[in-house]
Amino acid sequence: MKDRQTTAAAGQGPAGSTPANSRNTGPGRLLIAVYAVFAISASARAGYQILTKFSEAPLAYLLSAFAALVYVVATVSLAKAGSTWFKVSVAAVLVELVGVLVVGALSVFDPVAFPHETVWSLFGRGYAFIPLLLPILGLVWLYRRRPGAKAAAA
Amino acid sequence: MTVDAYFYIILVVGLLSTAVCLAAGILKKAPNDVTILSVAAVEVSLLVYLVGSVIRVISGEPIAGEAWEFWGYLVTAMLLPPAAVYWSILERTRWSNFVLAAVGVTALVMAARMNQIWY
Repeated sequence: MKDRQTTAAAGQGPAGSTPANSRNTGPGRLLIAVYAVFAISASARAGYQILTKFSEAPLAYLLSAFAALVYVVATVSLAKAGSTWFKVSVAAVLVELVGVLVVGALSVFDPVAFPHETVWSLFGRGYAFIPLLLPILGLVWLYRRRPGAKAAAA
Repeated sequence: MTVDAYFYIILVVGLLSTAVCLAAGILKKAPNDVTILSVAAVEVSLLVYLVGSVIRVISGEPIAGEAWEFWGYLVTAMLLPPAAVYWSILERTRWSNFVLAAVGVTALVMAARMNQIWY
């Protein structure tokens, strides 16, 4: 695979990546960038909701804050080396997947109880369904770069 | 939804930048002058939006929505192109062009939201 080779070659670049940390190279960089954008926008949105209208819907806005935290943890852990951070990444991405599925389903089946928007409402429709796609891509990426997996070109 | 010239500038520049960077990524090119300059053009159009908005506020035009939310969006949007360029030149592979491609559409979405807040 040409991609893998390019990635592996770049891994020895000035960034100083080691074979143990191949999660933040190649496609991983795009994944981290998208996670970072979601971390920033979800944090800003949750902060805004909690500071200005928290009493309107405490549950929904706490959920927003929780989603923001999950995105921050996912972004940081994906960028960090080592098997501990790998586990943190897996946990964060799984929580994200469960969150978007549960909140998405609840917002569809019980819109009265979930009238206030969160990132995960309606499976992330307000964000072009990227919140639904992101954890799936994240898990695929983490599986392909799991510690102990034989690196293709390294 | 009311949209203004600033939105259309970012619409055109942002989509062009995204298209150029996507094409470069698909062609397996590393970030080059063309893709980085296209992202710089997004930054310039955001700068135009910033200067224009400051002038409008000084001349007494009101912002319909929350003013600090508008400025928050604008400042955050302006941080994206330098951050993406920094992130992409640390590792010059085709994937970095996809990172750069994300800037244009993100700026476009944020500009749409800024227009909503303003009007």
